[in-house]
Amino acid sequence: MKFRMLAAAALILASSGHAQADIGPAEKPDLKLGFIKLTDMAPLAIAWEQGFFMDEGLFVELESQANWKVLLDGVITGTLDGAHMLAGQPLGASIGYGTQADIITAFSMDLNGNGITVSNDVWEEMRPHIEDNSEGNPAHPISAAALKPVIEQYRDDGERFRMGMVFPVSTHNYELRYWLAAGGLNPGFYAPQRGDTSGNIDADVHLSVTPPPQMPATMEAGTIQGYCVGEPWNQQAVFKGIGVPVITDYEIWPNNPEKVFGVTEAWAEKYPNTHLRLLRALIRAAHWLDENDNANREQAVKILARSSYVGADEDVIANSMTGTFEYEKGDVRDVPDFNVFFRHFATYPYPSDAIWYLSQMRRWGQIPEPKSDDWYMETAAKVYRADIYNEAARTLIEDGTLKAEDFPDLDAENFTRPHQGELIDGVDFTPRQPNAYIDSFDIGLKGSQTP
Amino acid sequence: MTKPHLELTNVQMAFDTPTGPFIALENVDLKIRKGEFVSLIGHSGCGKSTVLNIVAGLLQATRGGCVLDGHEVNTPGPERAVVFQNHSLMPWLTVYENVELAVQQVFRKTMSKAERRDWILHNLKLVNMDHALDKRPGEISGGMAQRVGIARALAMKPSVLLMDEPFGALDALTRAHLQDSLMEIQQDLNSTVIMITHDVDEAVLLSDRIVMMTNGPAAKVGEELYIDLPRPRNRVALADNPEYVHYRQAVLSFLYEKQSFPNKQRPSQDESEGDTPGNEQTQPSGTVPVRSAPSGRTTEAQVAEEIT
Amino acid sequence: MTTLSQTDSLSQSQRWLQALTEKLSARNLAEASRQLLLPAIGILLFVGFWHLAAPQVQTSLGAFPGPADVMEQSGQLWQEHSNQRDRAAQFVTMQEERNERILSENPEAEVKIRDYPGAPTFFDQIFTSLGTVLAGFVLATVIAVPLGILIGLNRHFSAAVNPLIQIFKPVSPLAWLPLVTMVVSATYVSDDPMFAKSFLTSMITVTLCSLWPTLINTSVGVSAVNPDLLNVSKVLQLSFWTHVRKVVLPSSVPMIFTGLRVSLGIAWMVLIAAEMLAQSPGLGKFVWDEFQNGSSQSLSRIMVAVLAIGFIGFLLDRIMLLVQKKVAWNE
Repeated sequence: MKFRMLAAAALILASSGHAQADIGPAEKPDLKLGFIKLTDMAPLAIAWEQGFFMDEGLFVELESQANWKVLLDGVITGTLDGAHMLAGQPLGASIGYGTQADIITAFSMDLNGNGITVSNDVWEEMRPHIEDNSEGNPAHPISAAALKPVIEQYRDDGERFRMGMVFPVSTHNYELRYWLAAGGLNPGFYAPQRGDTSGNIDADVHLSVTPPPQMPATMEAGTIQGYCVGEPWNQQAVFKGIGVPVITDYEIWPNNPEKVFGVTEAWAEKYPNTHLRLLRALIRAAHWLDENDNANREQAVKILARSSYVGADEDVIANSMTGTFEYEKGDVRDVPDFNVFFRHFATYPYPSDAIWYLSQMRRWGQIPEPKSDDWYMETAAKVYRADIYNEAARTLIEDGTLKAEDFPDLDAENFTRPHQGELIDGVDFTPRQPNAYIDSFDIGLKGSQTP
Repeated sequence: MTKPHLELTNVQMAFDTPTGPFIALENVDLKIRKGEFVSLIGHSGCGKSTVLNIVAGLLQATRGGCVLDGHEVNTPGPERAVVFQNHSLMPWLTVYENVELAVQQVFRKTMSKAERRDWILHNLKLVNMDHALDKRPGEISGGMAQRVGIARALAMKPSVLLMDEPFGALDALTRAHLQDSLMEIQQDLNSTVIMITHDVDEAVLLSDRIVMMTNGPAAKVGEELYIDLPRPRNRVALADNPEYVHYRQAVLSFLYEKQSFPNKQRPSQDESEGDTPGNEQTQPSGTVPVRSAPSGRTTEAQVAEEIT
Repeated sequence: MTTLSQTDSLSQSQRWLQALTEKLSARNLAEASRQLLLPAIGILLFVGFWHLAAPQVQTSLGAFPGPADVMEQSGQLWQEHSNQRDRAAQFVTMQEERNERILSENPEAEVKIRDYPGAPTFFDQIFTSLGTVLAGFVLATVIAVPLGILIGLNRHFSAAVNPLIQIFKPVSPLAWLPLVTMVVSATYVSDDPMFAKSFLTSMITVTLCSLWPTLINTSVGVSAVNPDLLNVSKVLQLSFWTHVRKVVLPSSVPMIFTGLRVSLGIAWMVLIAAEMLAQSPGLGKFVWDEFQNGSSQSLSRIMVAVLAIGFIGFLLDRIMLLVQKKVAWNE
């Protein structure tokens, strides 16, 4: 199988690219890209295994990283040329939250793909507060309100209720906070201007950072009572029998933007052709993952299960990648859009994605002082580089690799991500008016409040 | 009177100790002529090794000095080769390499490589060690190692050969054998030798003169005894020789009667001062010319006060 | 001629027989059993205990791996390695063909053969770790031995440096690592770097942690040279360099080697920890990756790595011992 694939790659290499007519040869053909062991790194693995990188004359080495901080530092210091990143990382770095660095993204890696899991003990206490559906299973979506009595119990016992998320600027942090706040629980504020970056001010639920692959082990050890993380680490908890996923992020916000592929702005300027070629390979990989109604997903699962990629057991990865999600053991439900890599124009870096993350950063105090709507627009435009994506997409259409309808109308503005559903709290997301959106939450900083 | 070959004049040696300076030697005077074999004898701790080390240049006298062939001795050098008490061969070098290290250093400029090799072999042959060239010191006996030590010293063609109890650590047979070899070599080369020994028989057998040192602290030359026995000497023949017995007796009497109680007996001060017998060639046979060294300016009682 | 050689071979075989019977004599057998049998029994007992005890330890990734699981996984790892090798070979052939074609079209075109950019296998990681540990160890030696000689030779220098040594010696590699990482990132800037930054980081951390035993032992060895030998050197008027080269250094070789062996042991331990923390390529990263994978085979694979780490550490020590026996005069 492998050899045939490589042979095919060789043929394409030999024909030496009608595809590459517009783009010059890669300035830096030998690349090292970082990733975290999560199924949403799939476009990288697929681009490698399917020879898409090689088609572009790129010799890519994929290297798993210990945690998001190491990965970000790797990109900033140049150890890595680029990486699978949390959407908040390019934004956070660019506005100087955490390490300051100009990082951009021109590729959104996927939509959805996260879940919130609680330990078995917490689940048992939550369960009585959750209504049954017609089949006698818990009715979804489960509100964080069901968690409230548990947390009150903890408070009465003088204990803190702790949950893990993967990074202060991670999607998981914002999604977990969104879900908790929607259920009337305060996840706590950040106050970076006072040096308080714990994010636990006034918190009902104390959130802390744990690298994704260590989530199950940390919960098993009792250090945290639940977590929000990408796959396969929610399904791993089910498989190991140590916890129950209560909600997926698809239920919090259908087709929410998730990981991005990030590089430094300096790198992108220095190696424009290399960047475009990388994007071409990644777009093709994402397309491969979703084409023919997810027909390739099983093959993708086999690839991801290799120890050099995600490395978890195949059935654990398959649980979410093939359109189902297992909540309680045996409670398998269809979530066809749990992992979206290409459909719904998933790969396009819409500025509205950036606005949503920035709005959540402001809501929880990571951006401590108010900013103008213009500032949000400018920051989004600086970090989310749809212009570069457009260029890569156009060449793919030109050389016939992909069709024009695979992409949104590249001549239009493409500001707001289409195909997104309503958020779980029913608050309307208005990306053109970020400040108004921020002010519309019950829990969170508003107007000129500082934490 | 010719100029002495080696001359120690008025040497004082003081060591710093936590309780103040310790005077090891005081007013040591010694003149040695070329080719003379001199033994230093005395009780342990009387400063024999200190004298040797001053001649070697390993120690600097705090007062007075040592002159060799008209040059003051300040630093160690190969013209004053030392044979140490316990061979002091480099344990990581072979027998050959140990001698080579010295020859290389001394004759680097004056001998060709082949000449040096011949010279090394020659000296090892001299001490009968040419059969073990590639052995390490750890693989040969103590006597053999000591012979290599002697070969190394001889190979430097020293003006003075300094030997610090060279045979002290050896068994009686080996010692006798090496003594005989040493006598032969010394006679052949006519080298000047200063040897420290505890062994009265060894001293009488080998020496032209025995220098007896008083007990320390502030040790000095107590008596000097010229051994006027014909060479070559044969230990078996000498055993019954009345002169030999006489010399032996004289040394023993110095060691065990005059100096038997360290620190309690003063050196004899009634002898004449000034005239030292360093360069006299002959001694009247049958008499035992025992002379004391010039008396010191500091008495031992004073020294004892100083150090206590 | 023939008869001669026949008798020759006859006597040879007789000698051989004799040697054999000597070997089989009771005393030699007892000796051999002490040397081989008892360790074998020890290992067997351990494996037996491991086999029985492992299934009793239940983790969320299944039971603790027993010897059989570990054997199976090591086979598996080897399989993955040879598959990867095949692919790499394929990759090179492919490039060669491509380059030929390019050259036939344009003889002046610049072509090069790239290494296969696939993920490193377990065995690749072993070699990466070995390379890193040796580089770090060599660097430590190159620093520690001359510095140790200076300290040993000069009492004043020794007094000045001693407090620093005492303070830095007990520092854990994990404390150095972030500093080293940042300094390497900031200072080693090059478009076409000769070494990967991760390699430098691991190597320097290894160096910083492993140089102390060599440094201390060298200085002690140098300051403890037999005073008689120092006198010999003085009498010979050896120059400073000859003195160091011919007297001081050989004399302290046994002490230096004792230090080197301790250093190499530390270097190996430190490297695994550093690779784990910094995610630099190597066995440490392999262990951490497998831990993060959390698959049902992860524990067995980690156990393979644990055994490999131990075995390699043992081998490194043996090699040092052999080198010491070759080099040191007191062995």
